[in-house]
Amino acid sequence: MKLPPLGFGLGLRKEHYQAILDTSPAVDWFEVLSENYLVPGGKPLYFLDAINERYPMVMHGVSLAIGNTDPLDFNYLQQIKALSERINAHWISDHLCWSGLDGVNAHDLLPLPYTSEAVTHVATRIKQVQDVLERRLLIENVSSYVSYTQSEMTEWEFLSAVAEEADCLLLLDVNNIYVSSVNHEFDPLKYLDGVPKERVQQHHLAGHSDYGDYIIDTHDHDVVDSVWKLYAEAVKRFGQVSAMIERDDNIPDLAVLMQEYAQMKQISASVLSEAEQGVAHV
Amino acid sequence: MSELLELQRSMMQWLQSESGDIQDRVIGTEKVSSETRLAIYANAYRYRLIDALSDNYPSVHTLLGDEGFYNDGVEYIAAYPSHHFSIRYFGHHLETFLVDQHQDTAVLAEMARFEWALRDAFDAADSASLGLEALQTVAPEAWVELRFTLHPSVARLELEWNVPQLWAAIENETGQIPFEQAEYPVPWLIWRKQLKTYYRSLDVDEAWALDAVIQRQSFTEICAGVCEWVDEASAPERVAGFISTWLEADLITALEA
Repeated sequence: MKLPPLGFGLGLRKEHYQAILDTSPAVDWFEVLSENYLVPGGKPLYFLDAINERYPMVMHGVSLAIGNTDPLDFNYLQQIKALSERINAHWISDHLCWSGLDGVNAHDLLPLPYTSEAVTHVATRIKQVQDVLERRLLIENVSSYVSYTQSEMTEWEFLSAVAEEADCLLLLDVNNIYVSSVNHEFDPLKYLDGVPKERVQQHHLAGHSDYGDYIIDTHDHDVVDSVWKLYAEAVKRFGQVSAMIERDDNIPDLAVLMQEYAQMKQISASVLSEAEQGVAHV
Repeated sequence: MSELLELQRSMMQWLQSESGDIQDRVIGTEKVSSETRLAIYANAYRYRLIDALSDNYPSVHTLLGDEGFYNDGVEYIAAYPSHHFSIRYFGHHLETFLVDQHQDTAVLAEMARFEWALRDAFDAADSASLGLEALQTVAPEAWVELRFTLHPSVARLELEWNVPQLWAAIENETGQIPFEQAEYPVPWLIWRKQLKTYYRSLDVDEAWALDAVIQRQSFTEICAGVCEWVDEASAPERVAGFISTWLEADLITALEA
């Protein structure tokens, strides 16, 4: 049901283009931000093609706006499809959110109300998108700072209901679960327990900004210990799932990011090995 | 109207004008009030868009200063909210906005035009350029009707102010130089050679010739036009010189006889 796993990845960022070509780091795959390459030509596409010659890629978008009530942007979808063919993308993901109204784009990943109306609305649109792209989509849980009075279920129940109804895959962002668990005071393990294992295709890991009573998902710091621990819990539950680190601001040298990459691999290997030994002992 | 649409309308009103009934639709907690929670989204909306403007207009930002750029940014967001799926194009109307906003400081709008043209050249479509040797394949009789296709990144600007010099001083951190207005608008060319973006000023006859190329005029027609600045006998040599320069700079992608 799921796609074959790719191993461990990094987000492709322009700051690392030359270092990647110069040093060919031992990264299994790169995740590219789709919109950065929906341009006519020049440097972004040059480096994308050059790096794609050496590495498998997956696409991650921010503009699908699957929860909008405006019509779907089929022009955007055709561009996404063309890019996926250009780089032979192993899969395409975007967020479970809405982003604008009446043609105005807020360029934010705004949370949806967790209602049965929204489940039906979003699942219907995901099916349309999957028809256009001719493949299953991965949808990602977002970090959020508000919950709505009209919500009828938990976030993980909403995510699971959408995935089941649309028959899509999940990109489970471990940092986003952690951020939202602090902001909305829920147990992140309940979230992990409430998600359909057979649909979890990818994990995101990232840093954030902690303001004490709440956390903002900024992707400008190292991954914190609490998120690494939650990642270990995710590996316990979901097994070998492709995982990658997102860094969007305050971007360190590639060599520094590779240390976090090694930590991600090590945590996954250690949890999987413990699980194997546990099974062997039984 | 569906509940989802009602909620989205309320949230958009909050983001765009910090008004409406969204407060009644979100839940605050003892630790974090609904006001704080909603402020996170209002601030993110503003700062994300202003950051995108600053990325595309670093020198306009420098000329206005942080406070001025922020204040103009807030007004720009209200006047020209984003309608594109990509934030890359959000700043498209900044020149128009600055013309109205800073009528006494026209250099700001010109800087916006210059920086937007640089941005467009950066990711304009790719097209293989011809080298100087391409001219050797043109038969002598074919020159009469010869026409040229320019690289998609080529942009022509007329600037009244010393904007490119100001931009370079800011970019290279060599210290700000005074604004200077030319007696007549100066023709400028922006283009990308391989992955690097270039700009240079043009003599008036070269600018005219380049514009004629853009309008698909033939070599003969361009020579006739250039006679406004040089005598008829020297015109073909003058225009051929331009074409050689353009070929060397990777400006020309096709010759059509």
